[in-house]
Amino acid sequence: MESLSETLWDVVIEGTGLRQSLLALALSRSDKKILHVDQHDYYGSAEAAFGLQEADEWVGNVAADSLTLPFRNASLWKAGVYGDERLSFSRAYALSLSPQIVYSTSQLLAQLVSSKVYKQLEFQAVGTWWIYDSSAIDASPSLRRIPNGREDIFEDKSIDLRAKRSLMKFLKFVVDYQSSPETWEPHATSSLPDFLSTQFKLPPHLQTVIIALALSLETPDNTTVSYSLPRIARHLTSIGVLGPGFGAVLPKWGGGAEIAQVACRAGAVGGGVYVLGTGVKDASTDADGSSDVTLSNGEVVKTKLLLRDVSSGVPSDAVIAVSRIIAVVSTSLLPLFESTIEGAPLSAVSVVVFPPNTLSTSDTANTHPIYIMAHSNETGECPGGQSVLYATTLYSSNRKALLKIAIDSLLLSTQNAADAVLYSLHYEQTAPSFGIANPLDLAFDDRMLEDVKCDWKKVVGEVDAKFMRFEDWAGMNNEQVDGDCDY
Amino acid sequence: MADSTPKPSSSVKLVLLGEAAVGKSSLVLRFVNNDFQENKEPTIGAAFLTQKCNLPTRTIKFEIWDTAGQERFASLAPMYYRNAQSALVVYDLTKPTSLIKAKHWVAELQRQASPGIVIALVGNKLDLTNEAGASNSLGDDAESDAADGEDVDGDARKVSTAEAQSYAEEEGLLFFETSAKLGTNVTEVFTAIANAIPETSLKGIRGPGAAAAPARTEDPSRVNLTGPRDSASKEGCAC
Repeated sequence: MESLSETLWDVVIEGTGLRQSLLALALSRSDKKILHVDQHDYYGSAEAAFGLQEADEWVGNVAADSLTLPFRNASLWKAGVYGDERLSFSRAYALSLSPQIVYSTSQLLAQLVSSKVYKQLEFQAVGTWWIYDSSAIDASPSLRRIPNGREDIFEDKSIDLRAKRSLMKFLKFVVDYQSSPETWEPHATSSLPDFLSTQFKLPPHLQTVIIALALSLETPDNTTVSYSLPRIARHLTSIGVLGPGFGAVLPKWGGGAEIAQVACRAGAVGGGVYVLGTGVKDASTDADGSSDVTLSNGEVVKTKLLLRDVSSGVPSDAVIAVSRIIAVVSTSLLPLFESTIEGAPLSAVSVVVFPPNTLSTSDTANTHPIYIMAHSNETGECPGGQSVLYATTLYSSNRKALLKIAIDSLLLSTQNAADAVLYSLHYEQTAPSFGIANPLDLAFDDRMLEDVKCDWKKVVGEVDAKFMRFEDWAGMNNEQVDGDCDY
Repeated sequence: MADSTPKPSSSVKLVLLGEAAVGKSSLVLRFVNNDFQENKEPTIGAAFLTQKCNLPTRTIKFEIWDTAGQERFASLAPMYYRNAQSALVVYDLTKPTSLIKAKHWVAELQRQASPGIVIALVGNKLDLTNEAGASNSLGDDAESDAADGEDVDGDARKVSTAEAQSYAEEEGLLFFETSAKLGTNVTEVFTAIANAIPETSLKGIRGPGAAAAPARTEDPSRVNLTGPRDSASKEGCAC
């Protein structure tokens, strides 16, 4: 094994989560000497995606409390052994620990394009949104489609004319909310439902729809106007940007995990050295400002800069947490993914929102919204005829039971039996409450790119370099070389 | 295109595997550019290269993925193996440990890659043996010298043809001994792979000019980030 200690590194990057991987990508043409390590033997850190066997191992590690922050309390249930007629073999699955959709207007997509790595990724549409409605007294609970743009609203016969006018007025305001601060700034810290009802006279059932679009993990009463408006605007202005009928995308084969792998490969192509299964154990700063970094394999390396993975060392008293269930189900859930918009691609991901108080156990109802991101087998995360449900809610009492009920309710309201669940992985994920970008957000948080840029500047200095803007590698395109091999 | 009846063309992803410094990149450089660099630095700077291979009835366009050094500390990502229809597992026939490593990579491919993947085992650096330049390295006399060890008549071979060949047969691999330096057997390896890829696994859109990546077509959910331009630029490279 070659030695890492002979090199004076410009930077040692710890962790291969999305943030660190994007940094590696940003530095991939910098000619800096980069050592990129991860204590885990897989790429992606908190954004990793697992086959079933890897997930088994991971659950064991979380139980043993070994190197698995920000995760805790993992447990799993499965209907049978891997590779039998129900669950397929381990690698037929890619279960994503931190599933996030990416809005079409996100700078992440722009940067993946300008850095050229998008060519190694496949993006799929997140186009259908549903809201779980248990309010009808004379009917069983059902999923209602969330209107996908103005035409949809006009055609929605369930909305009366007056409500429609109010809704259109609000939509017109929100897509350009920054131009009319007088409308919302006095109410910036008010709750969103209050604002919608007092300022726009929206009836409660339409408020629920608008609130759903904010993808807030908090209760509506704790969801502020200043938090929600940019998120609702992002949702609405993203629709149609990359094609008709959808406003968000997801990379195939495991979402952020796939971006992390592709970004790290770009780092390696640029000369970065990759060592998995090796973490940073200790670091001390020398007189000259460089660091001696002791790796978990005992090797000591010298670097001008060390960037630690902060997510793996979160103090337990300053965190927010979500509870998640990843469920593999034995149904394609096809109706969920079909769009009503002409020319729209088939959705690979559908978002189902369960507003507060729509689900209940024997003694409690859900105080917080529950979100299920349904991933079809088109995502490559499961075999044909199955789908993966990612259920998330803010950490609260009875959260695990409520997440299960949400999954069962989704199956029942799509005419599937609750025994369609083949596999269920439950865990909790924490995040520092002081960070800029929120890793628990259900949609990719663009502020992470600011963090990446900030780290990038620490490495390259305040030079005039262009962030994430690269040409294709020189000499690689040999289309013009007519070096056919003969038979 | 000069052909009166254009042949169907398909893209095939090929991944390189093998211990560091066995000549993975050199083989590709010889195949793609018909070039060789002595004392080449470890691989930097190419995410993948493309090269066409004309067969009598079809054209195979290889998308050749280099490890970018990520094999050195066992840090290759699953995406590297994804949708690979063929693999070149390279060892250095003057270095027995590199064959052991090659066997490890074959096992890894059987674990990680698509079931029908075509794997070629390649013993490189034939120029360091005294059969250098032989047009067919698989002749009988290659075996007898090998067991004798090094430095006989300047022969640095340490892995006999027979040993590697019988392993390859057991595992159902294509087998070649090559010299990237002299160009011996290099084109033959790629042509053999191209021939071995079953027609049924070529999912690319048939017909000339169709830019189709392997197993990526007809995806009803696929979204294009850059608009129609993308399909043209996909012909080139990616990084």
